[in-house]
Amino acid sequence: MRRSRNLVLGAALLAATLALAACRPGGDGAQDGKATIVVGVSGAFAENQIVAEMYAQVLENAGYEVTRQLDLGSREISQPALERGEIHIKPEYLSTLLLFLDENAQASGNPDEVAAALEPLLEERGVKLLPFSEADDTNALVVTGQTAQTRNLSKVSDLAPIAGQLTFGGPPECPNRPFCIPGLKGVYGIEFGDFKPLDVGGPLTVAALEGGEIHVALLFSTSGVIGRKGFVVLEDDKELQQADNIVPVVLESVLNSEIEDLLNSVSARLTTEKITELNAKVEVDQTDPSEVARGFLEEEGLL
Amino acid sequence: MNYLAEVTRWLTDPQNWAGPAGIGNRLSEHVQISLLSVALACVVALPAGLAIGHLRKGRFVVVSVANLGRAIPSFAILALALPVTIGLGLGLGFWPTVIALFLLAIPPILTNTYVGIEGVDADTVEAARGMGMSEAEVLFRLELPLAAPLVVAGVRTSVVQVVATATLAALVAWGGLGRFIIDGFAIRDNVQILGGAILVAALAVAAELLFEALERLVTPITARSKQAAMPGPGAEAAATGRQA
Repeated sequence: MRRSRNLVLGAALLAATLALAACRPGGDGAQDGKATIVVGVSGAFAENQIVAEMYAQVLENAGYEVTRQLDLGSREISQPALERGEIHIKPEYLSTLLLFLDENAQASGNPDEVAAALEPLLEERGVKLLPFSEADDTNALVVTGQTAQTRNLSKVSDLAPIAGQLTFGGPPECPNRPFCIPGLKGVYGIEFGDFKPLDVGGPLTVAALEGGEIHVALLFSTSGVIGRKGFVVLEDDKELQQADNIVPVVLESVLNSEIEDLLNSVSARLTTEKITELNAKVEVDQTDPSEVARGFLEEEGLL
Repeated sequence: MNYLAEVTRWLTDPQNWAGPAGIGNRLSEHVQISLLSVALACVVALPAGLAIGHLRKGRFVVVSVANLGRAIPSFAILALALPVTIGLGLGLGFWPTVIALFLLAIPPILTNTYVGIEGVDADTVEAARGMGMSEAEVLFRLELPLAAPLVVAGVRTSVVQVVATATLAALVAWGGLGRFIIDGFAIRDNVQILGGAILVAALAVAAELLFEALERLVTPITARSKQAAMPGPGAEAAATGRQA
């Protein structure tokens, strides 16, 4: 959901212009002995660029020539680019991609179900869905470490008995979205005492949570600030949030078992905690995504 | 046409006017935050403008400050004020917005006040002093009444700007009519966005008309026909103020 919600028309238009300009050289190259692989992103944001860099670097390490297209603004651009063969691989998110391809599809909190629904949709487009990673970038209810301790909170259902005393902060669309206030009420029986409309998992929400203006915040589960600020993600124990595990999607025509194994080796090592820390390195510390990806791959023994 | 009809329906549906999130309450919040911000700006800018106009000193500083106040976007002020108010325990929403609107409201009031006072005919002021008026009497019984229309025009300019800008409060979790615009954008509800914008514009126009009436009321009877025929330096300042 995050990516489509973040999309602002102007930014998309700009990105489209840039991407069209950037895409042109992409189609060449893929005809030699060991193919040139074009690694793209689903959208140009830190987490996706880090994971795309991981894919690119393990491929390079195995002797592939890799071209990077890491500035594709959004899925509206990257998905057609993949289907046309302008890029060959990109990191995706299970439910978000499913709903992008079929807005009537049923996303759920169970990643296996979502992957099963997504696979045939991609197959008819000549794209293969590889096994998904454990890393799940979805909406998450977050509290400060102190609140978690004093109120004894570890999962979302812990909120139900005390929610009336708490203030909840999230994006302004929260009262209208099934994953937010209506879902919390319907699935968990949670009704907060007050709701403050803030931003979409951005600095305002973080500042409000840190400053004690709200007790519970809706953030993205892999947001880099979570670890840095000592926030606690409450476990979504009744699976209200859709599963948005990070997963590689690959154009069938370039896929071979070696590439598959390489990408799977990355997915097998990605977890929500690890990608959260890597995001913090890029978002908070301003480190380059390629450097962050390299550090992770070396640590995991993949380079 | 259909779209406009939907906006009209949204604006006239009594259900949309009721409750804490209804148009009625949002309108009242909007008026409250605007009035408080302009009132605070008056408390600072009126005495400062009177002093500068009367003493005819410090003009350079005032012009600089006023222009700076205009140059910094209110949104930036809001963003800068937010961590401070959260740190001070004043919270989200109301106070950071008041700070931003207060700074926005100062320049027109300040400029118009000192230009109005300064613009009072020097011979008249001399004559008043010659008649034995004290400095305070010169200021409050001669200069201020003559400058009053211009001073009110400055406040009017501020009010209109503040009413239009108070929509920012919704960005930082407060109410006001901006809620309809921000929330409408979040759920891609264009009817609500346009409805909110129309309400803000209507409120600004209403404020403008109200202050125009007030301006006429404080214009000395002898000056009424003259001022209309021959706009002095004061009227010019009011016009530039409104442009900014």
